[in-house]
Formats: sequence, structure tokens, C-alpha cells
Amino acid sequence: MESMEIDSQQPTSTEDNNQAFVDQLSANEKLRIFYQRFFPYKPYYHWLNYETSPTKAFLNREFSFTLPNDVYVRYQSFKDAEELKNELLKEVPAKIDIGAVYTMRPKDKKFSPPNSFKPIMKELVIDIDLTDYDDVRQCCSKADICLKCWQFITVAIVIIDKTLRGKLYDFGFKHLLWVYSGRRGVHCWICDDRARKLDNDGRKAIISYLAMIKGGSQQEKKVFLSRPFHPSLERAYRIVDHYFTVLALENQDVMDTPERWTKLLKCIPEEAIRDVLNEKWETTPSRDSTLKWDDLMQALQNAVYLPGKNISKEVASKRAEALETIKREIQFQYIYPRLDENVSAHINHLLKSPFCIHPSTGRVCVPIPPDDFENFDPTKVPTVSTIIYEMSQWNERHPVQSGERKMSDYEKTSLKPYVKYFEDFVQEVLKDARIRRRAAQQRTMEF
Amino acid sequence: MSLQEQINLPKGINSREKNTGEVKLHRQHYSSRLHLYTIPPIDEITIEEFESFSLDRLTVLKEFEATILRNKSDKESKEYMNQVLAQYLPLHTNLSSEAYPIQQERRKDHISHFILRLAYCRTEELRQWFLKYECALFKFRFINLSASEQLEFLKENNLNWKCASIFLDDKEKSEMKEQLTTSSPHVNFASETFFEVDFEKVLDLVKRRVVYIKGGKAYVPMRDQVALVMDEFRNRLDKTLKDTCRALPEVDQEGQVMPILNQLNHFKSGQGYSCSNKIEGQITADDIDQLTEHFPLCMRHLHKKLREDKHLKHYGRMQYNLFLKGVGLSLEEALRFWRMSFSETNDDQFQKKAYAYNIRHNYGMEGKRTNYSPLNCMRIITNNQPGEGDHHGCPFRHFSEANLSHTLHNAGVTDKVQIRQIIDYVKGHHYNIACTRFFELTHGGSKEQGMMAAINHPNEFFEKSYQSSQESSLGNK
Repeated sequence: MESMEIDSQQPTSTEDNNQAFVDQLSANEKLRIFYQRFFPYKPYYHWLNYETSPTKAFLNREFSFTLPNDVYVRYQSFKDAEELKNELLKEVPAKIDIGAVYTMRPKDKKFSPPNSFKPIMKELVIDIDLTDYDDVRQCCSKADICLKCWQFITVAIVIIDKTLRGKLYDFGFKHLLWVYSGRRGVHCWICDDRARKLDNDGRKAIISYLAMIKGGSQQEKKVFLSRPFHPSLERAYRIVDHYFTVLALENQDVMDTPERWTKLLKCIPEEAIRDVLNEKWETTPSRDSTLKWDDLMQALQNAVYLPGKNISKEVASKRAEALETIKREIQFQYIYPRLDENVSAHINHLLKSPFCIHPSTGRVCVPIPPDDFENFDPTKVPTVSTIIYEMSQWNERHPVQSGERKMSDYEKTSLKPYVKYFEDFVQEVLKDARIRRRAAQQRTMEF
Repeated sequence: MSLQEQINLPKGINSREKNTGEVKLHRQHYSSRLHLYTIPPIDEITIEEFESFSLDRLTVLKEFEATILRNKSDKESKEYMNQVLAQYLPLHTNLSSEAYPIQQERRKDHISHFILRLAYCRTEELRQWFLKYECALFKFRFINLSASEQLEFLKENNLNWKCASIFLDDKEKSEMKEQLTTSSPHVNFASETFFEVDFEKVLDLVKRRVVYIKGGKAYVPMRDQVALVMDEFRNRLDKTLKDTCRALPEVDQEGQVMPILNQLNHFKSGQGYSCSNKIEGQITADDIDQLTEHFPLCMRHLHKKLREDKHLKHYGRMQYNLFLKGVGLSLEEALRFWRMSFSETNDDQFQKKAYAYNIRHNYGMEGKRTNYSPLNCMRIITNNQPGEGDHHGCPFRHFSEANLSHTLHNAGVTDKVQIRQIIDYVKGHHYNIACTRFFELTHGGSKEQGMMAAINHPNEFFEKSYQSSQESSLGNK
């Protein structure tokens, strides 16, 4: 209402008009426009179908909707992109979840004989959420995020992406789609044939290979490393060490208050070292975390030689190694990725689809290009309101001329680069599927 | 007391020889100790053997389940399981021959596996259980083989050939030296042979991050090939269990086998419990079912509901758990009891919902570490009134009249006059006297009322009932 009054007093511009148009839309209306004009049905269908002609991968895929009245509907399935679009426009779900590919169409589940309805394939998925970092971040808590704490997510993406992607590293997957979850986290969809075929044990094994942070709030020390360090941990450590100073010490100032430094000191099993540092910091509490970290490094170094005991070189180097391990454990505990293991471990677990609109932020759950993890800024991700506004603006300035190619609506908005990246990603997935199909055909011809 | 005595099985393999003496056709010869059970036995077998072989193997599998649930240290469980195996399912090496009947041992192992396959193939739940503990048994045995026996085993089952084609040559090995030594620090790098497999084949090693993985391939030292063998064993057994299920209707055309198979999956180790010294801290989770006849109605009700629902709500768990603690269930056994009873709850939920925490809490191992005593009747009657879905409380206080009559009737008080009498006490709010009268009526002897002091504690009820059963069994002898 307020903006309407302003409009009547001032000369109206198209900007104001379009803003006013967007402002008066209800959330539900915005969602409907999004599903009508922006949702990238074609690449989305190709992605989940893994081919251009219809396959079971799409037909037997479970979708679940959270309807505007908070009713949750499971086991939906659709013939093709068109049927999906019609259903989205009819129900206008606030959230779409993607589940597994089943032995039969999920919507026919109720007609299926007992035990015949089973999940057979799904992307391996990983879910990382900033709420799991609440004990180590202090800039924000719960649902809030800022660029400072988003860095935790950046570190997580970099470490996990390295471990999973490419022939040079551990698992050798190719098709990893990172998606912003719309508020305070990211999802990763690993779409390789091999990943989609993993059973629950395979999923659990990978996730436990990645997971380092163990134990709940009742357990202070959550990381235990043993020497020699596994190559994947050695590599992860280099990344952790690279970010640690800026992220943990400068941005989060993890040792600013007695309460917070006591917490960190609990990761050091030796009481003598803890006491020395505690004493020092109690007299100079204002030293910032970077200085306190230097103190800690110094204390660890001093502790190699025990007071009053003459130790051999060999013992000394063993002790130095053990103390170095403690340092790494602390660094891991503060910034190594924290995963929601349950989401990954079960083939039939549901996960929010890319290109949903987050119900409270209004942001689009956009894919994050892997060459740009570092620069991804969640606060700059377009909201449904922004893109509707951008589209109206563009349409005003570019009246339709006959004979001209009709542009897709997303191309008129800041959603464009994200859809473009998604299309490229899907093309790569399709290409791989084609190669695999041809190889299979060749094999049967040979026989 | 040994499990064997509890189940009343004949001791050792030699004593059983007599039964089987007449059936000597088609004896198979077993050249190696361990196998993947690919070929079914072609032996004839007596019904007695059929039963005892399968019960012995089942006892072993149940013991594996128990050790895994109890979370004992590796060394402790290894020692224990070695004993169990020696008793029920020994398998001696070819070298030890002479003294041991190794052919009979192997025959028993072979046949018992296939019988249980029949018994445990019928539902997904049974198949999963059997698969899990057969794998545990197989792994335990495989690890205990000598290096030469392991090699022999791999050769015989064509598994060696499988990995031989992708051994790393010296150049590849030395190029990966650093990664291989840090990933598998427990092997002697110089003398070790590594081979390459898809990481999916060695999930157990991946999970524990103790193998080098690159580009989706795992580089496994020979020493860790047990992971590969296990994968093979699991996959084969998983598949054949499903095949067996499909073929089952044809197996038993004479109708002799099915009744035994049906019994088998209801079998629990620890049947026929009757040993008084068990009461002092010796009770195991498996004994509870037999002991319920000595429980007061409130606890019988909780037990019944626990069995029906595979779940109890918070106060129900607290009331029952503390009572069982008073009966003599150790913390370790309590955890096992509840874990098994919540059979439809998965491990994650069991942890997440803090069930295990609450049980430890009751034993004073969590939180403020109060060692809680079992609740007395006063508290059960007055505190925490049961709500929707709750089964705790006192049946005399919290049951409707009709419900209570019915329960009393089912518990053996069939005389209408006697039920009336108990209901009258309840109406006068004398719940303890009602319960005590119930005790008198169901424990022979004093049909006259007022012969004993009122019961004020459920554990008192249990102890009195238990004692009287001991006395009467002594009296009968």
C-alpha cells in the first residue's frame, strides 16, 4: 500500500510501476509465475531422464511436493516434462523434493504387490548446512548467514569436490552438480552412472570416508587423527590449513572469550599445555585469536621437551609429531566439512530439487559452477521477485517485433547464467550416457 | 551354566555319532576347511541330526549377534567366540587331523548352513539377519586361517585368479609408494603385493579409510583381501537366499521339514532357564521372556506391549528398565535387551531418540549420575499418570474394571468370586492389597487371604514369586 501512495505523488516511472507490480503479488502468485515462465523444464527433464527419449529414470522417479498448506505429498511421478509442468502449475508446490528411481512408477505404488516396490537408483547426494557449524561460528546462528560464515561452505565444497571428482583424485566421478539450497547450505548431486547405482552400503562407505567430525555436543573433542595421514586427509589438510587463519582466527575469532578458548583448549589432551595457555590468556584476554593461536603453537613446541626430563632425539621427534597431530585435529574440528550423513546414506532419501524457490528467502536454488566456488555469493543469488521484476523491465524496453526470435523469459533476467551452466552440465551428462549406450550396443553386436 | 545345558543338546560331536551310525550313504569328502557353500550337501541325514546341527549353528549365529550388540572389545569377543565355535561348530585344520573328526566337523558345518538357509530364506527380515551373521561367522573363520590356507582357499574358489590379472607391477607400485604406505600402514610395503579393484568391491576398507583410492579404483594389499572375499561371500549368499526362497515349496513335499524349520526361526538361545544363581547379576537379555511369569501384572503388561509394539514410550521404558535392573539385568544386558526389543527401530533412530542414553541414565552412567532404584508401588501408582499410548502405571489403579477382570482372568484367576474380591479392593483404593491377593491366588498355597504381608514393590513381587518357584521345584525333587 505504501508504495502505491508514493506512486500517486510522484511522476511514475516504469521502474516504479514494475516494482509495484511485483510487490502486490502474493508468494503463491510469484511461485506460479516462476513455474510458468522460468523453471528450466527441458534441461531438468533431460537431467533426470539421462537421455532425450523417455526412460524409466524419469518415468519411475519419485517427486514429492510440499503444498502451500504444508501438506506433504509423496510418491508423485510424471510421464514427461509437460506433465510435470502441468502438475506444478496446478498444485504450485512450495517445495519439490526428488527421490529415487523405483522398480515401478511411484504413483502406482499402492497397486503394487508387497515388496515389489523398491528403489533401484539415485544420484549420490550430499547435504551441508551451516546450522551444523553453530558451535564454531559466531557471526550468525540458526537460519542466518553472511559472507563470513559462508566460507565454511566454500571450504566444504572445495574439499569434497576434490575428493569425489576426477581421475586424479579418490573417487573419479565426473558429473557433480553443486546447488545452493536457498538459505544456509548446499547440496551436491553426483550424477555418474556408477554413483547412481550405489546401494546403501556403498553410499555409507563414501560418506564415512569423507566424514571426520564425530560426536555430539556432549563430546568436546570431535576429531581424532592417526599417523601416517591417509593421502585424502593430507590433501584435505592443506586446504584446511590454507583457510584456517582467515576463516577461524580472523573472521570467527574462535578464542575471543574464556568460554570459547576453553572450548578450543579441550581439544588438547594434555592438561599441562592447557593450563599454561589458560593462565597466559586470563591475564591478557584481549589478545585476538590470531595471537592466541601463535601462543598455542609456541606452547605445543615447548611441550616437546618435558620439564626436568632428558629425552632422546627419537622420543623428541615422536612427541613433536604427536603435538603436530593435535594442531591438525583442532584445525579439522573447526573448519573441516560437516555432513548430514543420513541424507547421503539411504538411496530413497528425498532431497530438495534444484530450481526450487526457498519459501522464506525467496531465493532460487541455483547450481553453483565449480570454477567459481570461491566467488559464489549467496546473498547475490536472484530471488523470485527480482527475476519477475527484471523480466517486466526487459519486456517494457523491448516491445515484441515480428520475425524476431522469441526469447526465453529466464534469458531476460539474472537467472540466465545459472540456467546456462545447468544446460551445459546436462549436455555433458547426456554425452556420457550416449557413449555408454553406444559401447553397450557394440558389445552386443560383437556377440 | 553352559548354553549347551540350557538347550539340552547332546555334548560334542562324538556322542552324536551313535545316532547317525546307520546313515552312511553318499558321504561327501571335504578337502578344505572353509567354503563358500556353493554346492548343497548330497547326504542323507536323520531328523535328529537335522535338528541338532541346525540348533548348534543357530546358537553360534546368535552368539555373534550378542557379541556385536554388546560391543565388546575385539580381543574379548575373539576369545569368547573361539570358545563358542569350539563347542558348537568346530572346524580343525587338515594338519591337526587324527585327533579330531575333521570330516564330520566339515559335514556338520556344511549341512547346518544349508538347513538354516531353508529356515531363514522366507522373509526379507530373516534373510537379512541370516546374511549378517553368516558373514560375521565366515569372516571370523577366514581371518583365523593361516596364510597358506587363505591362499589355498582363494585358489580353490577362483578368487585368486580374479585379482591376479590386475596386480600392480613393480614400477606402478613404486610410483605409488607414498600413497600406498600411508593408506595401508599396517603392511610391509617391500614384500607386499597390491592389486587394483573397483572401490565398490572393498567398501569395508573405504568406509574405514584404510585403503588408497584413486579415480574410483582401490589399491588393496593382499593382506586386506578379506574385504574382497567377504564381498564375494555376501553377494553369493544374498542371491542364493532369494533363489532358495523361490524354490522352497518344492523342498518339503513330505511335510517333514517345515515344522522344524518353523521352530527354528523362533528359537532363542537360553531357553529352559532355571538357575537360581543367575538372579544375582547373571541374567541375560534372553532370559527375560522366561522370567515374565514371575513378574507382577504391571511389568507383564509392559513386557507384553513391548513385544507387540516393538516399542515403549518414555515412562514405560523407565519403569520397566529399572525393574529389570532390580531383577539383576546388567547395564550391558539391558542395552542389548532394549536394542533387540526395538526391532523395528534402526540403529540411527535408536541413538538419535536417546533410548540408549536413557537406559544408561537409569543405571547412573549419564547426566547427574544418580544410580536410580527401581520404582516402588507408591510411585508407580501416584507419579506420572499414563497418557495416550502409555503402558506404564499400575494395572490395579489405571485399568478399567472390565480390562482388569479380563487381565486377571488371563493371568490365571478364573474364579469369578475371587476376581470380584480383587475388584472390591481396587474400588476401596487398596491397590497393594489387590496385587498381594493376586499373588496369593496365583502362587498355590495360601488360598486364604491375609497370609502374607502386603507387597509394596514390584521387585518384591518378583523375588517372592521366584523364590517360591525354586522352593517348590526343590520340594518336588
